[in-house]
Amino acid sequence: MVFNPYCRLPRNIHEKCRLSALLFFFVLNLALAGCAKQTTVVLLPDPSGKVGKVNVASDGGSIDITHARETTIVKDRQSAPSTPEIISDAAIMRDFSEALNILPQQPVHFILYFFRDSNRLTDASEKIIPEILAAAEKRGSKNISVIGHTDTAGNPVYNMRLSMKRAQFIADTLTQKGINAVDIKTTSHGENNPLIQTKDNVHEPKNRRVEVVVR
Amino acid sequence: MRSSFLSLSLAVCLLISVSAWGNTTESIGIIKSVSGNVFLTNTSSSIKAAANMRLTQGDSIRTGANSNAGLILEDDTVVSLGSNSELSIVQFLFDPAAERLAFCIRLFQGTFSFISGQIAKLAPDQVKIETPDATLGVRGTKFLVKID
Repeated sequence: MVFNPYCRLPRNIHEKCRLSALLFFFVLNLALAGCAKQTTVVLLPDPSGKVGKVNVASDGGSIDITHARETTIVKDRQSAPSTPEIISDAAIMRDFSEALNILPQQPVHFILYFFRDSNRLTDASEKIIPEILAAAEKRGSKNISVIGHTDTAGNPVYNMRLSMKRAQFIADTLTQKGINAVDIKTTSHGENNPLIQTKDNVHEPKNRRVEVVVR
Repeated sequence: MRSSFLSLSLAVCLLISVSAWGNTTESIGIIKSVSGNVFLTNTSSSIKAAANMRLTQGDSIRTGANSNAGLILEDDTVVSLGSNSELSIVQFLFDPAAERLAFCIRLFQGTFSFISGQIAKLAPDQVKIETPDATLGVRGTKFLVKID
């Protein structure tokens, strides 16, 4: 015998329950239909003009788009992505102008080099400070990372302190020139994160550096 | 075959995100710009988003009508959302020195633009963007997504 949860209820309530159950499934179906969204993907050249590749995969298949303004549509998870087509700039702007207008610029990275065992900047790197300030100004940046490094000469504990000194020197310099101190995050990696891989105890000018990222 | 592959990549994405819960408070990027009504949601709360707020792994961003937002992630990826859009940063690990790199973003609805960052260059197979119907793999580029 099949258990019927409604069988003890008076008949009119039984009917109401059946109705609400029907209604529930109706609404559920609507909700599921609402979930059946389609995905459109459009490839664009990156800021340097290079066009990369996006692979679009569903349960129905997989396709690469590889040309500028090439697009593919996936109707639902079971369908294969549509044959790629090139669409017009007007079509792109119709759907994506909002997103494209607010897309941030990618962060800018600067590398400043130091004299051996010192927090004194090389002459060439000295000249980069104004560029950092200009980039921060232009982007209205309130998020600047300053990351100190050393080469592998000397002991790691000493180098951790040296890389911290270098980073702090750059942070102070930027602050003196008008950057808000709370907008700068200073970290130091000592000799652990070299630009050029060397053995231990190697003097390497390219590793004696501070990296500045302006976001 | 394809279906099992997709479910596998989804499962992997989930598994890694679970194992990475230990450092969910670490900043993985910022909200660079906001226009209109934009909400930042994490596991415990939902707040009105403002420029320069920090993002952490697991955060969701949702824009209302006539509202949009731009994000910058630690690996230099930039992402933006048009109106009535929602995404969730399921997993984001950027520690190139330790070779810990992972990137999984889920898009629920709306319009998006992306310029991929260093993770897509260093470990392209680690970059997964999921939509309700598809999974996107990215090889260093700018692209747009619409879910409607």
